[in-house]
Amino acid sequence: MTALLPVGIPGHVIDELRGICGDDGVLVDRPARVNRTRVPAPFPVHRWAEHVPDVVVLPRSTEQTAEVVRLANRERIPVVPRAAGTGLTDGATPLKHGILVDVKRMNTIRDIDLVDRTVTVGPGISMLKLNEVLRPHGVIYPDDPASYPCSMVGGRIGTGGWSLIGARYGHTRDLVISMTLVLPTGDVIQVGDGGGRKLRKASTGYALKQLFMGHEGTLGIVTEATLELVPRPEVEFAAFFGYPDYETAYASTGALAKSGFATLAGVVLFDEWKLAYLRRDDEAYIEQPESLRAVVALAAYGNRAEVTPAARELMRIGRETGGNYLGDEVSQGDWAARHDRYAIPLHGRAPDGQVVPMSWHCEDAALNYSVLPQVRQEWHEIVARYRERYGIFDDWGMFAYTNGAYKPWGDYLVEIDVGIWEQRLDDESWEGWLNCKREITEVTLKYGGSISACHGASRDGDVEYVPVELGGTFEVMKQIKRTLDPNNVMNPGKYLLDQAYE
Amino acid sequence: MTDQVSPTGAFIEQWRDHAYACFSSGHKFCRNVCPVMGVTQNENHSPTAFHANVVAMEQGLVSLEDVARDYVHCTQCGACETRCPNTLMAGDFYRHRTRTVDVVKAVRALAVDNGIEQPGWKHWVDETVRARTEPVLDVPIEQERVAEWADGLDLPIGGETILFVDCEAAFYRTSLPKAVAGVLKAAGVEFGLMREQWCCGGPAREMGYVARAREFAEHNLADWRATGVKRVIALDPHDYIAFTEDYVEYFARPGTAKHPEDLRSRIVGDDYDIEIVYITELVAELIREGRLKLTVPIEVVATYHDPCRLNKRKGIHESPREILRAIPGLEFRDVDHVTQWAYCSGAGGGLPVERPDLTEAISAQRLDHAANLEVDTLVSQCVWSERPLSKAGADRGIEVRDLMEMVAESAGIDGHVEGTA
Repeated sequence: MTALLPVGIPGHVIDELRGICGDDGVLVDRPARVNRTRVPAPFPVHRWAEHVPDVVVLPRSTEQTAEVVRLANRERIPVVPRAAGTGLTDGATPLKHGILVDVKRMNTIRDIDLVDRTVTVGPGISMLKLNEVLRPHGVIYPDDPASYPCSMVGGRIGTGGWSLIGARYGHTRDLVISMTLVLPTGDVIQVGDGGGRKLRKASTGYALKQLFMGHEGTLGIVTEATLELVPRPEVEFAAFFGYPDYETAYASTGALAKSGFATLAGVVLFDEWKLAYLRRDDEAYIEQPESLRAVVALAAYGNRAEVTPAARELMRIGRETGGNYLGDEVSQGDWAARHDRYAIPLHGRAPDGQVVPMSWHCEDAALNYSVLPQVRQEWHEIVARYRERYGIFDDWGMFAYTNGAYKPWGDYLVEIDVGIWEQRLDDESWEGWLNCKREITEVTLKYGGSISACHGASRDGDVEYVPVELGGTFEVMKQIKRTLDPNNVMNPGKYLLDQAYE
Repeated sequence: MTDQVSPTGAFIEQWRDHAYACFSSGHKFCRNVCPVMGVTQNENHSPTAFHANVVAMEQGLVSLEDVARDYVHCTQCGACETRCPNTLMAGDFYRHRTRTVDVVKAVRALAVDNGIEQPGWKHWVDETVRARTEPVLDVPIEQERVAEWADGLDLPIGGETILFVDCEAAFYRTSLPKAVAGVLKAAGVEFGLMREQWCCGGPAREMGYVARAREFAEHNLADWRATGVKRVIALDPHDYIAFTEDYVEYFARPGTAKHPEDLRSRIVGDDYDIEIVYITELVAELIREGRLKLTVPIEVVATYHDPCRLNKRKGIHESPREILRAIPGLEFRDVDHVTQWAYCSGAGGGLPVERPDLTEAISAQRLDHAANLEVDTLVSQCVWSERPLSKAGADRGIEVRDLMEMVAESAGIDGHVEGTA
């Protein structure tokens, strides 16, 4: 057993990496590699060894990162970038071993520009840390995922993240103004709008910035990002409404999302299964009457002069469409706990009611408003079948979040949360899980949706359907991949992009 | 080597579900408050990794030998546990609390049991066993001299209440026990010293030397019982943890431990019932009751360093602030105790013995926070924190003082002595 997890790349490469990153920036010990393998997405624990990188490097600069990638490209060794490792798909999980580039040591704030309203940071900083520094200046960086205290700028860019207050401020891709990027060949480029570092809109050349967001580490490594600063909101208003049934809550969600208030930061719809789950297993859930079967939450952010009158109207719309305001304690408390509730399910229930440790699958399809009720029915039916058959899954209900930046009315990030008892995973049950995932995905595509609103669609159970969803666009993706990464070193195996080299 | 994993079987059985609770959720909120991660940015040192390693051991991917050194990188401050969403959001419901500190202690103990020792810690514990007191740096150490700081103070031996004086305080920062003794006397609190005080055993326990730690504890308990002690006053948070957690585990009759959140714990056996009191809790009470008057102004601009073991592990954060606010002339620029979950001196859990470089870096970060407040004084009440913090403070023009020494000064207590031995 001593040969377990051998370092599969030559010693001279390790030596060169040490020359680039220093001795303390190159780790070949097994714990270092094993601990940079998984992300919170469900993970085949029994196949952990298949995903372990050969070596971990912790570069401190763009130059070091570029040298590492140049070396990897020369030696044809896979490179996998990893920031916080908190993603809900498998972007930061090495599929083919190789060099894992952990960007956490590139975590400094390099420039706060209060005149042109930008902040320039390394990819290894979290939004929480960044905003601790920004707030005293009267500004914030408003990227606010559930993983706000732990995810990092680099990963937000790599996955194309979504923000809970994106209806007001935009999502990650709307908030990144420009980036320094190490391409798969080791070349370094600045990519933004035109050639400017701090411009929000330009028409010089192709608009390539979006190409380098959400690529799951297949097109390069961001080593510096210039981000949007917005005025620190004077008011963060939140309201939660309860409803006797899903249909009323759904209609109310639509009315609120279509209200047209620019300060509206987001609307969230909790379905009956989510309410049942919260009642059953969430101690932070504040007890509500049994007659309450669905909940809608909304938030409005901005200056007092805007938010106060908008909040009054939103309250009126919520009530007139059947909502029962749940009070300030629930509204403010639950909204304030939105980050701590991230992956709240420490445990789920086996079918016999037994409490067991479970990990969390978070589906994140993008779907139009019109199809939400039907998708909800079909998804729950799928999970119920697999739950009964395998006994290791649990249905934790669904959320639907307004999805469009600044235009929250037409489509939703739709989440079904499924608990998975990882301790019981083996080849058969893992395949069972993937089949469950595939059925969920087929429903998404049947209703004209997209597999992923924000996590990325590169994991098994999703990725098989990417060519189906994208059609001819997937052919263009392969051409781009091959052009930028001629030797397929950047996160190989992801997104079926190995097909580009066949 | 994984074929040597077998001794870990019982350990894995004990901790696997607990480890999975972290592994399965994988939030990693802990990283942002972990003082060690804050300076190394190396995920090997994260509380998440400390749990995931248990799962990886179960899967046969890593061995105890592979991971043992990583577990050095923890000050046992408890920040990760307080910040863990599993503790915050599901704790009471499932009677679950993330127990990273216990996991770290268990792995260190398992390593020692399997002959995997860290050289610095081995030396430290060997010397402690030899001298019956910790090998506090830069001063000669012998058990016989443990009460030398009290020469001329005319303190009795034994009695219902005794003052336990931490090793660092007894041998290095002797101004602290002198100040405490003066304060207690001024307020009319009767107390004595032990006949033969040994190290509390906490550091040995934290470093994984469980049997050694217990020998110290047994000696100290026997000493207390022999003189009929009913109350022990601790003046250092590390001792306080040893008494209220380790000693309770060793000696308390099952069912006698109070609620863990109770600030004043008791060790109750068949023929002993010993209350453990922390000095700041007692002094705040004395001030409140008017038995201790703080009248001498101390004209400084100060902030307070929440010692990790008081704030994050025992919930003591009010009484030190209450005391500080009672000192005339002092301008107090406070940082709330929750923000201070992320603050640490780096001086705990044996880190300064094995990785003094990291302790220094963590203390430097702590003083950077203080410097941002534009204070001239950082007040601590953890004697072990005060050496590294003072060093970092000197670089930034900030004086690091102990709260009890300031209380003595403000109470106008004669013989109050600044500085160290």
